[in-house]
Amino acid sequence: MAGVSFDLAPGACLVVAGPSGSGKSTLARAIAGLVPWAAPGRLDGDLRLDGRPVGSTDPAALVARVGVVFQDPSSQLVMERGEDDVAFGLEGRGWLPFAMRARVPAALAEAGLAGFERRRTARLSGGEQQRLALAGAFAPHPGLLVLDEPTANLDPSGALAFAERLAAVRETRATTIVLVEHRADLAWPLADLVLALTADGTPLALGTPAELMARHRPALVAAGIWLPDEPPPPVTAIARPAAGTQPLPPARTQPLPPARTQPLPPARTQRPLPAPLLAEARDVDFAFERGIPVLAGLDLAIEPGDRVALLGPNGSGKSTAARLLVGLLRPTRGTVRVAGRDPARIAPRELARLAGYVTQDPERSFLAGTVEADLLLGLTPDERTRAGDVAAALGIPLGRFGARNPFTLSGGEQRRLSLASQLVRRPGLLVLDEPTFGQDRRGYEGLLSLVRARVEAGTAVVAATHDLRFAADLGGRVVRLAAGRIAEDAP
Amino acid sequence: MIAIPTRADRVATSPLGRANPLATLAVALAWLLALSTTTDLRPPLLVTAVAVAAALALGRVPPADLARGLAPLWLAALSVGFFNALLSPANADPAATVVLAFGPIHLTEPALAAGVALGLRVVAIVAVGVAWGRVTDPTHLTDALVQQGRLPERFAYGALAALQAIPWLAEDLVALREARRMRGLRASWHPRVLVGLLVLAIRRGDRLAVAMDARGFAAPGRTRYREVRWGMLDTSVVVAGLAVLAGIVALR
Repeated sequence: MAGVSFDLAPGACLVVAGPSGSGKSTLARAIAGLVPWAAPGRLDGDLRLDGRPVGSTDPAALVARVGVVFQDPSSQLVMERGEDDVAFGLEGRGWLPFAMRARVPAALAEAGLAGFERRRTARLSGGEQQRLALAGAFAPHPGLLVLDEPTANLDPSGALAFAERLAAVRETRATTIVLVEHRADLAWPLADLVLALTADGTPLALGTPAELMARHRPALVAAGIWLPDEPPPPVTAIARPAAGTQPLPPARTQPLPPARTQPLPPARTQRPLPAPLLAEARDVDFAFERGIPVLAGLDLAIEPGDRVALLGPNGSGKSTAARLLVGLLRPTRGTVRVAGRDPARIAPRELARLAGYVTQDPERSFLAGTVEADLLLGLTPDERTRAGDVAAALGIPLGRFGARNPFTLSGGEQRRLSLASQLVRRPGLLVLDEPTFGQDRRGYEGLLSLVRARVEAGTAVVAATHDLRFAADLGGRVVRLAAGRIAEDAP
Repeated sequence: MIAIPTRADRVATSPLGRANPLATLAVALAWLLALSTTTDLRPPLLVTAVAVAAALALGRVPPADLARGLAPLWLAALSVGFFNALLSPANADPAATVVLAFGPIHLTEPALAAGVALGLRVVAIVAVGVAWGRVTDPTHLTDALVQQGRLPERFAYGALAALQAIPWLAEDLVALREARRMRGLRASWHPRVLVGLLVLAIRRGDRLAVAMDARGFAAPGRTRYREVRWGMLDTSVVVAGLAVLAGIVALR
């Protein structure tokens, strides 16, 4: 990150856009006044908050004016229960007890978490944790809000509600907002200024959204930055009305942007022979704890070449269903079959080639000290020869990334590495959990074309996702989960 | 023993749950101290009974919850008692009554009594610890330690945050082992999994520390959302706890 300059008036909103790895999160931490005393780094140049230089002001006094939400909400929740966590930031800013008791429930309700006071933070779903982190940041009425990908874990309606809430905050002009966000369609309309960064962390453009769109559009696209005029399709475009009987047209409400690859041939509806099912869940119940069911009566069959978008709100059981399908979890009741067999009886070596799974949280899937070693782990000599090509196609060429520690990659790069290490095995079934989370345009397109290439080769893809753009681009079946049950399974 | 709490809120609103955790802690420590000075059979039995009864009646701990906390420790008590009896020097006393003689095993009555007493003490100590752990909310305890115990806030809330992170560590382990399976490797206790677990724990701690500082943890003039006070209830808990203990000791 180098050479970034901007002035932000009180009450204005700055949106930071850039490809993954361009240093957006680092910039967010610096703006929040956390570098270098709380987060590592070296700050050259002049950074002032409220006119006070960050380097020589007491950090505690600075932080009192700032509310921050980082990526990964789970590691910023401090207290055991929701209300204590929201109160934690108020305590640090010297709020009086009676004021806190009034503010905490209000802040929870504003974040869509009314009644979550006594809920345990560790038991919340990813989206709920994100909301709680936002409630904690909003609660003290900060002068400056720094938000790093705040909608990343939210379901589509949650993301929309959050954008509306942020717009209301901006309307008051009492809070200055710095927003790092890939969802340009949500973020840019809020922006007074947009700062676009290149992949190497230098500024590409700074201006109002309209200026940037008018003057820098090609450069922004080339840098892999999402633009606000290509929103993902609305929920209704890929949702079939509950009572509807006619099959959903595969069409989207908007033409595909030109950069997209051509659409896939339509899925075959008739087969000459009954093809073997790649994976099948029959009447599956699942609970991590007795009495708290996550899934109930799940029936799902995956045939070769199937493309399934698994949708559903936060906490509806999508990830659990995904892990069941590849045999990582065993059902509490009912049966799961992978290639017609009980996955518990398939040797891991074979199972990994029948069904691949890319986890929601890539950091928890790294098992080696370098990108190259992690990618090659457990591969056959044959698979090793194509590992380099897969990595390059996903924008993490081993020449540049191979020797790096996976933990030093940006969030988007980490996700692509975890995808690469599954794609390289060419499993018959590929189950992806939020594959497009935090991806810039290039990462997204690389991912989509690889997935499409695998589909054309006969691989079935199941993607649990909040990303309606990806669901539409995948263009297959839509399975919608609600509260642990399949609410819809539309071709 | 780390009890990750899964108690219902009814525990928090019970008399023992509402009491200042330092009051219940004082009683528990007094009981444990008294147990360590006795070799009789009766006090540990009575202490166990009182601790369990208090947790159930005054702490409203769900019985299944309490039983789960105690379950693995019956075995520990049994084995401590058994081996102490077996290896007791009293077994060498030729005047003692032999209870069991089977091959190399030679067990006398005084040795058996000593073993049973020791096993019962283990049971009582564990029962007191589990009962206290089940009625005590970690946040409540931390607040009390800071506000009445004058423990430094940074240390106390840091430790509390670390405690909250333990369930995450367990999930990290599951995720890493799943990651091995998805690479076609056995989900064993490979050193890489342990290294990965350590890396994830350090990173999580790092982020948590930054997040705490970003929310003004280091700022002076910190106020308190939950005031913990010492009231009549707390005094009565201590008095009653000590009275019960005195009664048990006097019965001896």
